[in-house]
Amino acid sequence: MDLAATPSRSKSKPRSSPAKPVAAPAESRMDLCTPSKPTPRRKSKSTASPAPMSPATPSTVRRSRRLLETPTKAAPEVQVKATPTPTSRGKRAAPSPKTPAQREPKRQKRHPRKRAYYRKVVYDGGEFEVGDDVYVKRREAAESDAEDPEEECRVCFRTGGGVMVECDACLGGFHLRCVRPPLRRVPEGDWACPYCEAKRAGKVAERPRPPEGKRIMRTAREKLLSSDLWAARIESLWREPDGTFWAKVRWYIIPEETAAGRQPHNLRRELYRTNDLGDIEMETILRHCSVMSPKDFRDANDGDDVFYCEYEYDIHWHNFKRLADIDDELETKEDPNDEPYNAGDDYNSDTDEDSEYDEEEKPTSSFSARRNQSHELAANSRKGRIYGLQKIGIRKIPEHVRCHQKTELEKAKATLLLATLPKSLPCRDKEMEEISIFVKDAICNDQCLGRCLYIHGVPGTGKTMSVLAVMRRLRSEFDSGTLRPYCFIEINGLKLASPENIYKVVYEQLSGHRVGWKKALHYLTEHFSGGTKIGKQANQPIILLIDELDLLLTRNQSVLYNILDWPTKPNSNLVVIGIANTMDLPEKLLPRISSRMGIQRLCFGPYNYRQLQEIITSRLKGIDAIEEQAIEFASRKVAAMSGDARRALEICRRAAEFADYRVKHSAQSTVSANKGDSVVCMGDIEAAIQEVFQAPHIQVMKNCPKFGKVILVALVHELYKSGLGEIMFDKLATTVFSWCHANRELVPGYDTLVKICCKLGESKIILCEEGSKHKLQKLQLNYPSDDVTFALKESPDLPWLSKYL
Amino acid sequence: MVVAVSVPSQAQAVLRGRLCDPAFVHSALRSSSDTNYSKLKYLVASSFSEACNNSVLLLGPRGCGKAAVVDMVLDDLKKEHPDAISVIRLNGMLHNDDNCAMKEIARQLCLEHQLSFSKMASSDDNTEFMIDMLRECGLAHKTILFVLEEFDLFAQGKQRLLYSLLDAMQSLTSQAVVIGVSCRLDADQLLEKRVRSRFSHRKLLFISPSLDDIQRLLEHLLILAKDSGLPAKYITDYNSRLTSIFSDKKFKGCLNYLMDADATTSNILRFLFRAVSYMDMESGFLPIESFLKALSSMQRQPKMDSLQDLSILELYILVCMHRLEDKEQSSYNFTSIMKEYRSIQDAYKTSDKYASTVCFRAFEHLLDRELISFGDNRGRNQALEYRPVKLLISSRELAQSLKLNTTCPAVLQKLFDRERYM
Repeated sequence: MDLAATPSRSKSKPRSSPAKPVAAPAESRMDLCTPSKPTPRRKSKSTASPAPMSPATPSTVRRSRRLLETPTKAAPEVQVKATPTPTSRGKRAAPSPKTPAQREPKRQKRHPRKRAYYRKVVYDGGEFEVGDDVYVKRREAAESDAEDPEEECRVCFRTGGGVMVECDACLGGFHLRCVRPPLRRVPEGDWACPYCEAKRAGKVAERPRPPEGKRIMRTAREKLLSSDLWAARIESLWREPDGTFWAKVRWYIIPEETAAGRQPHNLRRELYRTNDLGDIEMETILRHCSVMSPKDFRDANDGDDVFYCEYEYDIHWHNFKRLADIDDELETKEDPNDEPYNAGDDYNSDTDEDSEYDEEEKPTSSFSARRNQSHELAANSRKGRIYGLQKIGIRKIPEHVRCHQKTELEKAKATLLLATLPKSLPCRDKEMEEISIFVKDAICNDQCLGRCLYIHGVPGTGKTMSVLAVMRRLRSEFDSGTLRPYCFIEINGLKLASPENIYKVVYEQLSGHRVGWKKALHYLTEHFSGGTKIGKQANQPIILLIDELDLLLTRNQSVLYNILDWPTKPNSNLVVIGIANTMDLPEKLLPRISSRMGIQRLCFGPYNYRQLQEIITSRLKGIDAIEEQAIEFASRKVAAMSGDARRALEICRRAAEFADYRVKHSAQSTVSANKGDSVVCMGDIEAAIQEVFQAPHIQVMKNCPKFGKVILVALVHELYKSGLGEIMFDKLATTVFSWCHANRELVPGYDTLVKICCKLGESKIILCEEGSKHKLQKLQLNYPSDDVTFALKESPDLPWLSKYL
Repeated sequence: MVVAVSVPSQAQAVLRGRLCDPAFVHSALRSSSDTNYSKLKYLVASSFSEACNNSVLLLGPRGCGKAAVVDMVLDDLKKEHPDAISVIRLNGMLHNDDNCAMKEIARQLCLEHQLSFSKMASSDDNTEFMIDMLRECGLAHKTILFVLEEFDLFAQGKQRLLYSLLDAMQSLTSQAVVIGVSCRLDADQLLEKRVRSRFSHRKLLFISPSLDDIQRLLEHLLILAKDSGLPAKYITDYNSRLTSIFSDKKFKGCLNYLMDADATTSNILRFLFRAVSYMDMESGFLPIESFLKALSSMQRQPKMDSLQDLSILELYILVCMHRLEDKEQSSYNFTSIMKEYRSIQDAYKTSDKYASTVCFRAFEHLLDRELISFGDNRGRNQALEYRPVKLLISSRELAQSLKLNTTCPAVLQKLFDRERYM
């Protein structure tokens, strides 16, 4: 249900107040002791200020609240703790070796315009600390600003005067003596007031009416539960340069405000913690409350401002997560939200000392603190992901990156990288047009029945890149408002652990939940067949791109069938784009699948040499590093072999690397490099092509030990003699021995020969069985015999070999 | 009590230390610009300076110093750019399963960057983590090096690991280098076509050094430097003797013989280590004899050795098997061997007639020493006597061992020889 007062909407008020550059909150939070603090006023105030209220017994301490009519004080009192604990981060980490005292002098010369962060602030009589739970005013002019009422007995409507017991159903307070029959002591376990019991039993019980003229004062708790107040947890406190005090808070939410509404199992005092953070002025903070984990809540028996919090509520995905350990969790949760922008802001606004601090402090502290924590915090699991990774980027960028003046060749190498996204995709206009028509059709027309596009082509012909480019273009169209919203899911078949995992991934992308694949399949089938819809954007068209589609083949092909069956369902709003290499994949599948998939196909043919040339030259526009002919040569060569654009780019890059290597090393040896050297010439391309397309076996054969060569030649000899590919080692050895005798060579031992054979077999020059078979070992050449002949025809150390070839 | 370490043993320790330190062995590579070392270093370093991804394969037979060169390059680069490199090492023998390899990558990444690691994370999680890490490290200008040893073993099955690695590298602007090390020359042909298209086909070939190189290597390893902390007189004496040995014809023949079988660096090192171990501890010099002794210990023929100390009965069994094979009887088992044995014993009436159980024990012994083996793996539950067996040694070896064996009865020799030349 969509409540009128969703937290994100109604809470926008405090947040809408003057937004200012958020300058490195987390990082600079440690400098809490701003030097100009100790004023005589503070001293007097601190003595005058009441004792910090203990949240567990709020009803006992009822101070007079500050009057809201009084304008913001010119200089609000700030109590700085005598021994400031560094930051919220420092708190959870092991005590830092760097004491703040040591950094004090440095901070003196700090720019005064900076925000000052505090750990504890005495504001208007209340002492607020990071990590405290507080009530926050919802409206400036809320009703009973003046007094915070004490709880009244529901029977006699008087406050005070003896012990009160709370009804677990209506949360009303009762004097022990007012209850009929009167209670002697506070009962153990759950207790419901007579009125609630009667109501539960179905009887009508008249509740006592308040005496005439007495206004019912609602307590803060009641206001909160009727969403007139908010509760929040303070994450950080700071003073703006203009003197106002601000806090970053994490909101709590009452069950009614969640998407699910109040559930029967919700306790009356239950709150959910959200993942929503907001900056509020300290002005709006009312006073303390206390939100507890289930365990603490059980133990805390009295007090009105006690709340129960067991789950966290995700305001984006509307789901709940149990807080296993609320303290640990809070700390981790706080980071993902406020850390990312620190990293960015750090550089412009912060002085060096902070980054210094990070370098020394962070790794050790985080390591020691988190080593023993649970699975959730591990960086390689999903939840912890967002958490740890930022610190990698914190150190300053090395000098060589910043000051390096790139040469032409290096520029060429950079643009030829596969990872660099080209500004335009030449040669695929027609295909991209087709894809974009297909996708747009699906998005714009509500009926996208049975739409499935199968894209095929050899690797490196720009299939995925084209689809993604089309999707990027659509995205910008959507941003400019000319297109309906849609949902795009990209999946790579080779990156799935098993084909069934695709359900899991799709479901997660749609809903944000992670479930097992069977459950996900169930939900998805329901979603697409028009049952309960998943997620917020239930009615948006979904475009599902499956790369490497052939990897989803299972034995009974059910995964493919399911995926391709969904689009045929009415109201499914799903289109599938499948990408694979084989042209006839649909034909290889079961007929019921191919009939669903094979209707619309798009072929990405291999590039011809003109296209490859165009691709390379378009990338190299404005860089004069590779000769025109060299590019043509490379593209012709690749087009003849495979038409793979990746390979063409790699060859050019490799050639540029060769040229660069040459230039750099000739510069080292102080040979004057002439102008032509710094350009990739045909020779470099040739060398690169050699490296890509030629197996290195000939060179290895030429470099074999002597007996290895003899064995290879003997293998060729036997091959011609017998015509059989395989030869027994026994026979081979006899041949080798007789040759060695005939040519007066030292005769190797039998076991040495076995060893050499195994070595050759290891590098797969020959194929052989394991050496333990000894004389029964079967051997076979792995390369054409002509290669052996070519390699060993003129070997200087064995001139007699050639007569056996 | 202070034990005075004698000069020769000091020198021996120095030499051994050198031989066991791959960085010292290959340090000659650093100077020249045309070696694999400088090429690989250039490749990896360019990924720093130009922030690009690379993948390279190091191919070559075992023992040519592929891994040593990788280590040297990594050490040097780590010195040049401290904490800008993290190295992930995988071995195809250990991480043969894609999921387990992914987990290992995540584990090592966590370790390098002091993040906490969870064993329970799924393989998808780990893959995503790796990609995130690659991206983050790319932003922070840090390089991740993936060293995949036994690269060919990763190229089995679906190759999901290689695909996700190489796909991440062709789609992300990170700086990562994948270094595959393999002794299979056709390692890049094993890659699936999609993976191959993403692989950048840089190959560095490692081949065994030439004779000149080896001579230079020997001098580099064995000639003691002036400042090695030993008496100067000893060093000059030692070096002059060694140079005279190096130019000795006998030594050259010995070296040639060694290299005829196996010319890889590791083999040479093994040889030299043995030679140093046979050092003359009296004088502290390396005489030619120690090299010859080392060579002979390198060229051992285990089959021949084990044939040497067989009992007469076992030799009888081998000869019987050989006779059976010569009679073109392709398949035979213990009972047929016993038949042959009995017929020989009946014909020649030798004193070596043993009961069948004793013979069976000898037969089992031969099986254990792998001089004979079962012909096939089928029939495991058949009784040993009836399983077909095969002779694993050649007639040449058998003849040689009979000749060398002094206790071998003449009749056995005759039995073997006669049918051979009949």
